[in-house]
Amino acid sequence: MTKLWRRHRWWLTPTLLILPAAVLFSVVILASAVESLWISLHEWDGFSPMVWIGLGNYRELFADPQFYVSLKNNLIWLVMFMLAPPLGLAIALLVSQKIRGMRLLKSLFFIPLVLASVAVGVVFTWVYTPEFGLLALIFRTFGATAPAVLSDENFVTFAVVIAALWPQIAFCMVLYLAGLNNLSEDLIGAGRVDGARGWNMLRHIVLPQLTQVTFIAIAVTVVGALRSFDMVSVMTSGGPFGSSEVLAYQMFEQSIFSYRFGYGAAIASVLFVIMAVFIAWYLTRMIRADERGG
Amino acid sequence: MTSLELRQIQKNYGTYHALRGIDLSVEQGEFIVTVGPSGCGKSTLLKIIAGLETVSTGEILINNRDVTTTEPGERGIAMVFQSYALYPHMTVAENMGFGLRMAHRPKAEIDAAVLRAAKILRITDQLDKRPKQLSGGQRQRVAIGRAITRSPDVFLFDEPLSNLDAALRTQMRVELSDLHARLGATMVYVTHDQTEAMTMASRIVVLNRGSVEQVGAPLELYRNPANLFVAGFLGAPRMNFFEVTVAAVSGGAATLSTAGLSPLAVELTEAASVQVGDRVTMGIRPESISLAAEGTASFAGRVRLVEHLGRETILYADAGPLQCVSSESGSGNVTVQIGHASAVSADATVGLKVEPRDVYLFSSVDERTISARKPTITD
Repeated sequence: MTKLWRRHRWWLTPTLLILPAAVLFSVVILASAVESLWISLHEWDGFSPMVWIGLGNYRELFADPQFYVSLKNNLIWLVMFMLAPPLGLAIALLVSQKIRGMRLLKSLFFIPLVLASVAVGVVFTWVYTPEFGLLALIFRTFGATAPAVLSDENFVTFAVVIAALWPQIAFCMVLYLAGLNNLSEDLIGAGRVDGARGWNMLRHIVLPQLTQVTFIAIAVTVVGALRSFDMVSVMTSGGPFGSSEVLAYQMFEQSIFSYRFGYGAAIASVLFVIMAVFIAWYLTRMIRADERGG
Repeated sequence: MTSLELRQIQKNYGTYHALRGIDLSVEQGEFIVTVGPSGCGKSTLLKIIAGLETVSTGEILINNRDVTTTEPGERGIAMVFQSYALYPHMTVAENMGFGLRMAHRPKAEIDAAVLRAAKILRITDQLDKRPKQLSGGQRQRVAIGRAITRSPDVFLFDEPLSNLDAALRTQMRVELSDLHARLGATMVYVTHDQTEAMTMASRIVVLNRGSVEQVGAPLELYRNPANLFVAGFLGAPRMNFFEVTVAAVSGGAATLSTAGLSPLAVELTEAASVQVGDRVTMGIRPESISLAAEGTASFAGRVRLVEHLGRETILYADAGPLQCVSSESGSGNVTVQIGHASAVSADATVGLKVEPRDVYLFSSVDERTISARKPTITD
């Protein structure tokens, strides 16, 4: 037995260690994804037997104006969320300066991370409240009246995204803070001797050392933007008239409130494809850049 | 012309004194090697010259210009780091030209300077590669090339060879000496390796616990160490040290006596104030001890270990009552270096002889050398 174990341990040990995660991933992620695809080809209310309708759900989806509203909103989320990595880096650079009192400031920037996103949503709903909200107070000091952003179909998505950006920026800041701690002191020194300062130091010496962190920050931010759901749910429930709905929320709304699990699964599948395509494209680009030097 | 001048440089980290008032004046074209044990402050000193660390007090002058508070990039220095510190995302050529690029020089001038440095270091065929495609030795060349491209007033080297294997280190040592001769530039080189110091330096600065112990030409320091620390630090194998008692003082010489040692009369410096009965430290270099017949020997030793190195033989001998307080072997054994192959085997008892003129004496009060200066051998 021991001899057998010794001879095979080189592959048994890693296999045993990976197995629990592999099983969990297969059941929770892979199997559910496949089943979700399967459901999307059916008409199903969650109780009665499933009825095969082939691509019927997809045909309906691509003709549904609400789908395009959600898609457009997801695009707005994506573009605006791209502000999180650079802003996170800027704040990380600021709070990593060795100045007295910076520690307190740093912990203030950490606050949104310890808040549940639902709480952030609720807090921002108060901020946006017409008449009593912080936004209204600010507008009033300038003698203006604040728009009711959450009930205005032109502003609502932007207002929700701004609320969601707050924790996202803090998250990127934490990533960059860790990255800044790992900078090579010698490389910084070499850069200083070579006369690189300020912007040049950041551009040529610091940022190249943060490519790995930036990769993670951008990937997490994109995924965060595409699967955004909780803020929309808490702040607007997709309203007014579905104008702030995103794909993830539409999926939820169709499945849970309208009992159309097949249709919801079709939305989920489309979202899955969008994310998979993006991640695949981004990964290959990063790997290629890494091979070039890095 | 003075190229680099340090005036009373002090560096404190809280209550810890890393550098305690360093004074140094370096002439144009000198190759200064700063050497010392780890934690002696040598790297801190180099970073202070580079401007990567600030001074607590003191002044730094490069070409008679006060640069104490000047940015590193504007001091007219270039630095080669122990880790090479090459920019990983840039090609070799971009690495080497980065300093000039930051100084907004025209591209043609940068290319010419990079090519000139690459030719000197024979890396012209590597210019398009990235650092991670290069071997350790090649990276070191690029790091040196980056320094040359800047054509600085002073080159700074921070233990540049310590990451290379032994063979490559010897080769780079020769190349660096050669480079120094070709460029005629002022260089300050930090190392803990005394061989590098002895072989490359025009002058050695021995640093210990943040203070300069002695400054001088390599052979001068080797022949006439100012104190016990310098005597013990330079030379391989290390000098043997013994605790001995002064038995008599007459005519500027002290006669030493201790159990197991035949009386030795060692000439003293004029400044030395030694009295009969004083305890002093006696130092003898391993190569100053030779095998001798029983009657003429200064002391006898039982050979514990023999190292046959071909061209020389190293003996570690137990000298009985004459206990060595510090030596290469770290134990009480005396290290003896014989300049030829010897048939002596372990466990043999041998007579060991030392000439009085080869004996160093150090005060046990302040560890300063109190034996007379040794003439430098010229032939």
